[in-house]
Amino acid sequence: MLELRRVSKHFSSIPAVDDVSFSARPGEVTGYLGPNGSGKSTTMKMITGLIEMTLGEIRFEGKPIQDDLIAYKRRMGYVPEEPYLYNHLSGTEYLTMVSQLRNLPARESADRIDGMLRLFSLRDDRHASISGYSKGMRQKILLIAALMHNPDLILLDEPFSGLDVGSALVLRSLIQELAARGKVVLFSSHELDTVERVCSHVVILHRGKLVADDSIERLRSLMELPTLEAIFSQLAVEQDSNSMARQIADLIHA
Amino acid sequence: MRKLFDHFASRLPLELRVLYGQFLLRVIDLEALSIEADVTGFLGQFAGVLIMISFVFVGRLIYPTLFMDQAHTALFLREMTLQTEQSLITMTFLVTGLITVLSWDATFPDRRDVMVISPLPVRPYIILVAKVSASAAVLSLAVLSLNLPASLVFSSLLGSLNGSVWGVVRFFCAYWFVIAAGSGFLYGSVLTIQAITTLLFPRRISLRISALLQLAAFALFISVYFLEPSTPAFAALTLPQNQGFVLWSPPYWFLALMNQLTGTLPPWLNWLAMRAWIGIGISTTGAALSLLLCYLQTMKRTVEEPDLVPGAGGSHWTPRIGNLLQTALVLFSLRSLTRSRQHRVAFAFFASIVFAIALSMLHAELPPRKTIPVSMDYLIPTFVMMGFATYGLRSIFSLPISLTANWVLRTTQLRAPEKYFAATRITMFLFAVAPVWLVSAALAIPFTPFNAVAGHLVVLALFGSVLVELCLIGLYKVPFTCSFLPGKLNIQIVFWGILVVYLTVVVSFAEFENRALRNPNQLAILVCALVAAIATLWAFNHSRAKSAELYFEELPEELITTLRLISAPPPRTD
Repeated sequence: MLELRRVSKHFSSIPAVDDVSFSARPGEVTGYLGPNGSGKSTTMKMITGLIEMTLGEIRFEGKPIQDDLIAYKRRMGYVPEEPYLYNHLSGTEYLTMVSQLRNLPARESADRIDGMLRLFSLRDDRHASISGYSKGMRQKILLIAALMHNPDLILLDEPFSGLDVGSALVLRSLIQELAARGKVVLFSSHELDTVERVCSHVVILHRGKLVADDSIERLRSLMELPTLEAIFSQLAVEQDSNSMARQIADLIHA
Repeated sequence: MRKLFDHFASRLPLELRVLYGQFLLRVIDLEALSIEADVTGFLGQFAGVLIMISFVFVGRLIYPTLFMDQAHTALFLREMTLQTEQSLITMTFLVTGLITVLSWDATFPDRRDVMVISPLPVRPYIILVAKVSASAAVLSLAVLSLNLPASLVFSSLLGSLNGSVWGVVRFFCAYWFVIAAGSGFLYGSVLTIQAITTLLFPRRISLRISALLQLAAFALFISVYFLEPSTPAFAALTLPQNQGFVLWSPPYWFLALMNQLTGTLPPWLNWLAMRAWIGIGISTTGAALSLLLCYLQTMKRTVEEPDLVPGAGGSHWTPRIGNLLQTALVLFSLRSLTRSRQHRVAFAFFASIVFAIALSMLHAELPPRKTIPVSMDYLIPTFVMMGFATYGLRSIFSLPISLTANWVLRTTQLRAPEKYFAATRITMFLFAVAPVWLVSAALAIPFTPFNAVAGHLVVLALFGSVLVELCLIGLYKVPFTCSFLPGKLNIQIVFWGILVVYLTVVVSFAEFENRALRNPNQLAILVCALVAAIATLWAFNHSRAKSAELYFEELPEELITTLRLISAPPPRTD
């Protein structure tokens, strides 16, 4: 189980994440939601160990992750929000490098990489430079790199970004399949419809603070709202979207 | 002056001024600099190095005259005039050439320019003018820094030799005309070749050819600088052994042109000055025409270029070098050095110097004698090559390949820092020490006796290992993931400091080794001392690395990512 206990992160005294606590359990997909700038990606980076928290504690399977960060990283797979990769490498070269850095046996990882490239329809372009890859292709490379070592904790920050419909459907099922096999999956997305279908449990963040942490079913009944979109709008969206749209159109016309 | 400049600038089209500002910053490859880099400071320090070189030239001419009477001073200046002019012209060609190579693609619109600017209502010629102006501004800064102190001093000293103020003015004008024309000639010639390549070949092929041309140009400029024979008098220009250079090396043409303008060129060398005039004409016309044609065609071809290009066919076998981590980092370094433009150019800079030194050694060795006794002429260049290669590679490690992608290495950092440190050490051995050692071994073929040559190669390998350990001190980073801080590091001091200290040490070391090669006991002591130095440095580095933390440079967190549309002003009701 992944647990965040009163986690805060301040950038030059500005709180980006403020006293956030929640847990993600094995066997379920936890959705992590919030508008732009609410602190989702900052939380993800703290969970990966990329940035240090200002306050609080993150635990995985009962142990603080900082106690043995290397052992923790061995069991974690991460897809970041932006598909930043080493553009001068080809897809295969990048994945091979990651497998070597993860100390995976060469033969086994080569077979696994080849199989995943085939399943993600990237095999034909595996030797092309990543600089020429579309956003969706980069996203697939990130997914393969995050999953090829069979991690126990999977952190997905906007994993559907740039994926075509077919790949998105595969990924949606894959996330559920991985959770069903006992993985801890924390999944951040703006696609509320997908979150509603995939996640059993959601955490909603607004301006760095936790505003909801429960199952979608319970939130629906508690708030007496029919959909996750309605719940999200109620908890995390401040402006009237129709009025905003009118104001923007007026400004363009002025 | 400032007001006049502002007045002139304000009359230029706004889009030209905006684009010029953008392109000026990008002549220096910003992606190669630290996120905390002070670009203006960096340019200032670069200019500082050039001004210092100019003062070295001035000092070389003035210092001996301090101890001479008037008659001897005049005689000395007359003797030195041609050599001094040649040195300055050759140095200006070298600096212009290096800047042209370093800003190789800066004059042509890249894919980003086309995708960003094309949808905007900006005419192509504005982009062309802005690009050329930005490149010319950086080039002018360098040429001005290099020549301003020298031009003032040399005009007053060498121009006054005929005893008139007119002579001083004439020398000053001729000097600046030749320097400007020479720089323009070289810049124009390179542009013409680039533009012709772009016009003749499909864009993807032309980019590959362009990368090769860039490296070739680098090697050419540095080789010419190192190999060009000195000309103490006009008669030297007619010596048979100098004919090849005099005919085909443009610095000689511009040397003749300068003397033609100052009225000191013998009539039988007018043909050489004529070459300079023809060269200026051809390069100016060629650059203008081909650049214009290229601009009209390139923009369209760049947009139409497909995003994804299939990778090269054939085998994609990757060798295993040490353990998996070492293999990963060595291959990552090799691919960064060979595939990234800025890394390739920076590596080529140091490789070209090594190549030029090797070439000049070959040049000296080729004459009739078949075997040559090992001497300082062989020992010193090999140590200089080793120094340039190791220090060069260490510097290039500080050019980040992609700061935004560093998260990959951070999330996969599953081993202790000393393991990464060991992988970096292997990389330095493979890409710096081993190539120089092999080149030195090849250059050793004509030298005798064999045991002295073998002894030197052992010493050289150990010397390289010492340099590697020295370069590794404090390097708790994966190559190409962090940058040094241009603008914060005082390169004008570090450059001269390292050069002077290293050359002093190398000369003393080579003198000692030269004696030791004839005395087995001394050689054994030298080898033991080097091994002890390596062991000490290795132990020091290893113990420091054990407690070190790997450092990865990151882009700062973006605090504001929301558009805050809610704060948009309410619509006006009046």
